[in-house]
Amino acid sequence: MKKQAMYFKMVTSSLIRRRSRMLVALLAVAIGATILSGLITIYYDIPRQMGKEFRSYGANLIFVPSGDQSTLSASTIKKATGFFPSNNIVGIAPYRYETVKLNEQPFMAAGTDLKEVKKVSPYWYITGQWPANNGAVLIGKEVADLIHLSPGDTFTATGTNGAGEKFSHDFTVSGLVQTGGAEEAFIFMSLPDLEGIMGDSDQVDVVECSIAASEAALGGMVKQIGENVPEITPRLVKRVTQSEQTVLGKLQALVYLVTVIVLLLTMICVSTTMMAVVTERRKEIGLKKALGAANKSIIMEFLGEGLFLGGSGGVLGVILGFLFAQVVSQNVFSRSISFQPLLIPITLVVSICITGLACLIPVRRATDIEPAIVLRGE
Amino acid sequence: MFWRMVKGALFRQKGKMLMIAFTIALGASLATAMLNVMLDVGDKVNQELKTYGANINVVPKEASLLGDLYGVEEGSGVSDKYLKESELGNIKTIFWAFNIVDFAPYLETRVSLNSQSDSIELVGTWFKHHLSLPTGESLDTGMKNMKSWWEVSGDWLSDEDESQVMIGSLVAGRNNIKIGDTIAIHSKNQTKKLVVKGIFNSGSDEDNQIYVPLKVAQELIGRQGLVSRVEVSALTTPDNELSRKAAQNPKSLSIKEWETWYCTAYVSSISYQIEEVMTDSVAKPIRQVAESEGAILEKTQLLMLLITILSLIGSALGISNLVTASVMERSSEIGLLKAVGAHDSLISLLILTEILITGIVGGIAGYFAGLGFAQIIGQSVFGSAIEIKPLVIPLVAVLVLLVTIAGSLPSIRLLLSLRPAEVLHGR
Repeated sequence: MKKQAMYFKMVTSSLIRRRSRMLVALLAVAIGATILSGLITIYYDIPRQMGKEFRSYGANLIFVPSGDQSTLSASTIKKATGFFPSNNIVGIAPYRYETVKLNEQPFMAAGTDLKEVKKVSPYWYITGQWPANNGAVLIGKEVADLIHLSPGDTFTATGTNGAGEKFSHDFTVSGLVQTGGAEEAFIFMSLPDLEGIMGDSDQVDVVECSIAASEAALGGMVKQIGENVPEITPRLVKRVTQSEQTVLGKLQALVYLVTVIVLLLTMICVSTTMMAVVTERRKEIGLKKALGAANKSIIMEFLGEGLFLGGSGGVLGVILGFLFAQVVSQNVFSRSISFQPLLIPITLVVSICITGLACLIPVRRATDIEPAIVLRGE
Repeated sequence: MFWRMVKGALFRQKGKMLMIAFTIALGASLATAMLNVMLDVGDKVNQELKTYGANINVVPKEASLLGDLYGVEEGSGVSDKYLKESELGNIKTIFWAFNIVDFAPYLETRVSLNSQSDSIELVGTWFKHHLSLPTGESLDTGMKNMKSWWEVSGDWLSDEDESQVMIGSLVAGRNNIKIGDTIAIHSKNQTKKLVVKGIFNSGSDEDNQIYVPLKVAQELIGRQGLVSRVEVSALTTPDNELSRKAAQNPKSLSIKEWETWYCTAYVSSISYQIEEVMTDSVAKPIRQVAESEGAILEKTQLLMLLITILSLIGSALGISNLVTASVMERSSEIGLLKAVGAHDSLISLLILTEILITGIVGGIAGYFAGLGFAQIIGQSVFGSAIEIKPLVIPLVAVLVLLVTIAGSLPSIRLLLSLRPAEVLHGR
């Protein structure tokens, strides 16, 4: 009991008496631990965060009717979308295409859920406004150029509906769509509007889904839906999924390598600092030996100090590292980062091991030396 | 005398000075590597994002996409609805020619397959075409590089395979066609028998199409030297206020704005320059690709910037830590110097000179080691070398200087306040 108390006193007093020096060492350990925990948090969160950014490329999965069917019903779509993890759904936009006539020229009208379209295809460049109420539509740039419409104008769409009767309906242009793709030749209206003029409902031609998930996970969902909902054929949009996989993989590899290099360097920095701190105490070691301390007890004492430094530096590092990762995530992705509880023990163990090792090497060398020589200052 | 003392200190304390130099070298190498990678990461990721395919679509003026929907184009055959194949090389001669990564022309027509009544879309294109430019340069370009996500069973076609085709997986599945089969293609004017060299799965509408070399398609429909559209893949700068204004109407810009816009690699200015070199063409940015690229590039650069700042702060603190620790050790030497009558200013100068010499040596070694680290990162992540930016040299130099001086100043102040007698006594 007494021996333990003495040991404890020696460790604490050496830490307190050499306050400034120990603060320097503590700072070094804390910086190392901060970098470790901060970078690893970022590394693990990159696929999740960047994956969300990649959703600006639009749909990565589409539903088309399988076999002889030509349309999908709302209930089958609902059944199929149930297989997506609800946290990962960015948007699901159903489309129904019908031909309508403007000024006796045929155009394609697409009925859809415009709120979802905004989420699935954030790259649409709208001149004017997104439609807010019934009867307001978006028209493609090409359609607008062809029949000279601009936002605010009204036009009359005519045609024949599902029952074979002629219809004529007025719409207001709320905005022009520019995408550089086929969308520019379409007229987009809300699904109820299109169903209203066509006189029937519950018929969707294709469903665009934007799901935040890796290619492998999406493949799994496709398989599940294919097996459980026979009315639907889900298809991956390869161009988007595969490219996302490549780019994300490279990014993660980049952060991984950077993390490893930064870690190696900070480890070396921490150990050089610790070595410098221990080396200057050779005199003290010599004195203790001269007073009859065993090598083992000297090593134990330094180890105790190292453990304390490593532990407190590690705790500081975990907190600072998480704060750093949070700042990065807020600034880069404007979202908060998820905390990895496993990082606490990892950071602590690594920082304690490194400081312990960094202390041991110079202490060992010091204990090998004759006390008289050290004390004389040679 | 001063230099002799400096030299003496440097050589006598070889081990300690080496350790400081080593730490500074580590910090400097980290800074060099991170800065180089950060400055180059934009270009590298941009290159990777090219796997998303083309970001500019060049079509003839007056041609409308409505043709695709209703097939009304069939039979109209007016030659001004095509682009000239001979002008394609011009795309590589525009102001931002260096930023054009790849381009591929397409000539589309509808044909019937094996005398079926339903028509099917046939596309003629360059797969990997060797092109000599009027400037004397030459390049290989075509669809193969731009459709990296295609899964091809069998082989990609080459431009010389005039008796072979590649067909989409849906076409192959419907008609039960396998690699090596011979298929007959009927256009209005003629029939061709072609061997299937590859079947591809692209995960989009292209799976319903048949691909042949451009020349074969031109012969089939009698449109020699013409193409119906060109896809261009270009490295671009993310859009900003100016480019949006320009995209709506380039004529609304002032002369100065116009120059800035024209000389920046915005997708709109590259499109504009392509329109200048291709007769009667309209170059449209594909927003899906252009817009998203900008967003992802910005995020990546910001991410790397913050990681770089963290590692720079880390290495700066690490270095100054060690410098502080090692200067403090020399209390008895300073005490002796003071005891024999040295001025404070002389002592500070002496220590600073020593540390700076060590710092410079370490910094230079670290810079080159850092270049090595940067190349390791570049090669293993992107498979290409990281460009060495001269801008990094002054940045690292300033960093090393600031950090070593900042690290030694507090300890020097502490040493100067010591009383010689106490220090020498060993307290």
